[in-house]
Amino acid sequence: MKKSTLFLILIFCSAPVATGFAQGGDVSDPWSDERAGMIAGIEKDVRDTAELINRGSFDRRVMDAMATVPRHEFVPESQRSKAYENRPLPIGRGQTISQPYIVALMTDLLQPQPGQRVLEIGTGSGYQAAVLSRLVSQVYSMEIIAELASESRQRLQRLGYENISIRAADGYNGWPEEAPFDSIIVTAAISHIPPPLVRQLKPGGRMVIPVGTRFQTQYLTIVEKDPDGRVTTRQLIPVIFVPFTGGHQ
Amino acid sequence: MTTTRHAPPLVAIFLLSASALAYEVLLVRLFSIIHWHHFAFMVISLALLGYGVSGSLIMLFRSFCLRHFTGVFFLNILLYGISSVGVFVIIQRLPFNALEILWDSSQWLRLLLTYLFLSLPFLFVANTIALTMLRFDLQIARIYSADLIGAGAGAIGIMLLLTVFEPPTVLRLLAFAGLLAGVFVLRQTGRQLAAALALALVASGILLLPGSWLELRLSDYKGLVQTLRIDGARLVESHSGPVSRIDVVENRLVPFRNAPGLSLQSPEGPSDQLAVFSDGDAMTTIDRHSAQSSPGYMAYMSSALPFLLGRQFERVLVLNAGTGADILQAAAFDSRHIDAVEPDSQLTRLVSETFSGYSGWQQLRGRVELHNTTARAWAATADQPYDLVVIGVPGASSGGAAGVYAFSANFDLTVEALKSYLALLAPGGYLSITLWTDTPPKGNLRLFSAMVEALRESGVASPENRLAWIRSWNTATLMVKHGELNSEETTAIRRFSESRNFDLAWLPGISEDEVNRYQLLPRPFFYTAAKAVLSGQGKDYMESYQYDIEPVRDVNPYFDDHFRWNSLSTFLALPGRSGIAMIGAGYPTLVATLLQAVVAALLLILAPLFFLRRKLRSDGHLRFRVFTYFTAIGLAFLFIELSFIEMLTLVIGQPLYAVAVTLSVFLVFSGLGSLTVHWFVESKGLDPGVLLRWSVLSILLVTLVYLFSHAWLIEHLMALPTALRILMAILLSIPIAFVMGMPFPVGLTSTSRNAPELLPWAWGINGCASVLSAILAVLLGMEIGFTGVMLCAVMLYLLAWRTLPRKTLI
Repeated sequence: MKKSTLFLILIFCSAPVATGFAQGGDVSDPWSDERAGMIAGIEKDVRDTAELINRGSFDRRVMDAMATVPRHEFVPESQRSKAYENRPLPIGRGQTISQPYIVALMTDLLQPQPGQRVLEIGTGSGYQAAVLSRLVSQVYSMEIIAELASESRQRLQRLGYENISIRAADGYNGWPEEAPFDSIIVTAAISHIPPPLVRQLKPGGRMVIPVGTRFQTQYLTIVEKDPDGRVTTRQLIPVIFVPFTGGHQ
Repeated sequence: MTTTRHAPPLVAIFLLSASALAYEVLLVRLFSIIHWHHFAFMVISLALLGYGVSGSLIMLFRSFCLRHFTGVFFLNILLYGISSVGVFVIIQRLPFNALEILWDSSQWLRLLLTYLFLSLPFLFVANTIALTMLRFDLQIARIYSADLIGAGAGAIGIMLLLTVFEPPTVLRLLAFAGLLAGVFVLRQTGRQLAAALALALVASGILLLPGSWLELRLSDYKGLVQTLRIDGARLVESHSGPVSRIDVVENRLVPFRNAPGLSLQSPEGPSDQLAVFSDGDAMTTIDRHSAQSSPGYMAYMSSALPFLLGRQFERVLVLNAGTGADILQAAAFDSRHIDAVEPDSQLTRLVSETFSGYSGWQQLRGRVELHNTTARAWAATADQPYDLVVIGVPGASSGGAAGVYAFSANFDLTVEALKSYLALLAPGGYLSITLWTDTPPKGNLRLFSAMVEALRESGVASPENRLAWIRSWNTATLMVKHGELNSEETTAIRRFSESRNFDLAWLPGISEDEVNRYQLLPRPFFYTAAKAVLSGQGKDYMESYQYDIEPVRDVNPYFDDHFRWNSLSTFLALPGRSGIAMIGAGYPTLVATLLQAVVAALLLILAPLFFLRRKLRSDGHLRFRVFTYFTAIGLAFLFIELSFIEMLTLVIGQPLYAVAVTLSVFLVFSGLGSLTVHWFVESKGLDPGVLLRWSVLSILLVTLVYLFSHAWLIEHLMALPTALRILMAILLSIPIAFVMGMPFPVGLTSTSRNAPELLPWAWGINGCASVLSAILAVLLGMEIGFTGVMLCAVMLYLLAWRTLPRKTLI
């Protein structure tokens, strides 16, 4: 092969790469545009479900957190191209990473505040914990599958999330050494709300529990403990979005 | 290759039909285990269109098939043997996730591949039958009877096989049964040795297939698979039966804690349980129980309501006892004698035999008697009154199901069922039913309205004074007293609810400020519904509600179907179509199944007409008659057969026996009816039109008799012992099955005489119509009840009478 031909091939092959960098805008974060698209999708979904969820927008801080957490780092390589689509994704071993809209909704329902301590039951990929970590002072996350807990711990350490503690254990009994918590989020399937978790919730605290299969309907239950210790639950109307409705990608 | 003109391979047809029907049932089982039951229904429905494809194919290659009849026939047998096992191996390797179908377009392609692969075995069997009919056109009725009787044998055979063997073994056996058909045509092939070798080769291949290839690979999202991933989880029992596969998982490291509706105020949860999975999902549990332990948490469930009214019960009846949680609850509150009724003997055996040490059966058995029958059958035959009758929550939680059971008949919560339970109560006794709740509430509101109707029909003038209704965050318990609730009882109910933070939904003398205090709903749905139903405003309330919550009866026993066409536009109009979640999965699945089947069926029916439009000698009028006639009888046959299956499920008691008995009786006696056609038409020279007239009139007569007497019949039959009930169910099915076997061979004979080139087309149309019919019958049953479906069938038979394919009018 002539040297000139080889040179032309090299130029040709490198062109898309160079073009990609040139068009990407933010060289340090090639996913920023997609993340912005995801945020726009969530905002539209919030407007569409305003009546069902009793709010027309989410807390700005929650949306900022969603806009900074690199969701593509929490999905397997094979799913990266879909990482910022507003849909749940399979992450292997029968686990899923929730739809961004649902993550944002659950986070907003928790009403996280700086300085708070939050307990999460069901770490999964660690994405929900990462979002919460941007909003509160400390996240305690429990995962019943040891392998998943270990992978998430390594991932979060690698990504620099220092205010998340992960424990591989049964979440039913909560994390008594660190209790009480300002809020608790339960993402595991349950037949009843574990009494130990109710006890580990601070007066004035709230717990959010999604019920339903992960690719289908999600019923959200909110457990609230008033300052006198009286516990009530509240159920939101089920929510689901499907991609073919348009505007949610 | 040649064959004798007058010897159709009837034994081979019998074997192939038996194997194909058994294979169909087996696929429903396999897909229910791997994926979910509603998905299995959807997939298998379309796979059966293989019958329709067969008609089109044979029509296209008619002359070739006739020239090489035996060769093509034998080849189809080999292909059936290979494909019946092969497609299952391939499909298991397709990375298909049914749950992701709304999200991921690539799943549609995988679904389409699943359909295509699954239709192959049915296509090959259908080819053999259609070919034989084409080749031996003077003996169509005999061939059809061999087909039907074979299928009838398959219906019984598969139940027996699934009782004895695991599904992967049954899969191999069915392939062998199909290949056995080849042995009966070996002599006709002309190349006996080569054909025998081919058969032996395929059979050896299936036999030597590694077991791991056929091992069931459950969806990663099924509860069993997820549970087994948890540290310490160990599968301690796995058993497959004709109804379900049962898996039991133990975990000493991370205990299971299943306590539906447990109060948030409960000081404790369950301590140690075994998890029981049905078809890899729908988890229930067996509590560890001993003389020393007491399941204290059970006093904090909404279902504990009747036990905390200060009474000790002498006689308690637990209906649908499952794995025994309600038995244990009754025993924990010192009930003296407990009759526990559960139709699935696999479940009761777990508690009373396999894990009897764990469940503490030794301590319980002195006062608990198990009965393997249905709630309705027991209620019809019980001869002593009870102080308490309990129906506990069904397995699995409500959230995930999201209406997928909408098209499963449930005779346990119809108005007639509730009346029969109320009749079991001793004066002062209670009936207590606990259900999962959903948002917005649907099933619980239907139960309440059905209960009020049952009370009124039982002669109770003031039902409002007998009812107590409470709810936790995910369960609701409805309690009815035989007699009016007194002030001590209402005080105790208030105290019980208050202390456990349960909400009152109805109680005599309740006021609006007492409701919706702890488990806050957007509106006090339960109380508002109760008030409306009890004050005579129920009809208006139910009509204005966004879901169908009207009481269901034995003729339309779809308790979980709440879909309402009126609400569809409202839900779909919600911004971003966020209302899709409000519709539920059941009804849309059924409609989607119907739509896909209609599209596929039309393609299969129209395609051959398009390709052969120049070759067809028959006129348009005759083609119209063939189309109308075979569509009508294809729809009507299954309308009646499925209506009988649903109604006889109630009479026979065991759903499994009902399906097996009704299906086989219908098929075998329809086969005999078909033989009669052969005798009358071919031997006696009777005009097919005359025979059709008599058979349609007989169908009309028998159906009308049944329609007008079914309520009376069921009431009287239910009181008979099981064996007599089954016998009566068989006797009831025989006359109509016999006459229903006639119109199809009559139509084929007439088509063969007037337009033989349309014969395969007629066969295909009938196949397609049968597939549509199975789905339509369920949809119509939900809307107009089984009696309505049977009336539709009668109209269709009348239409068939007027459109028998012939050149002159009857």
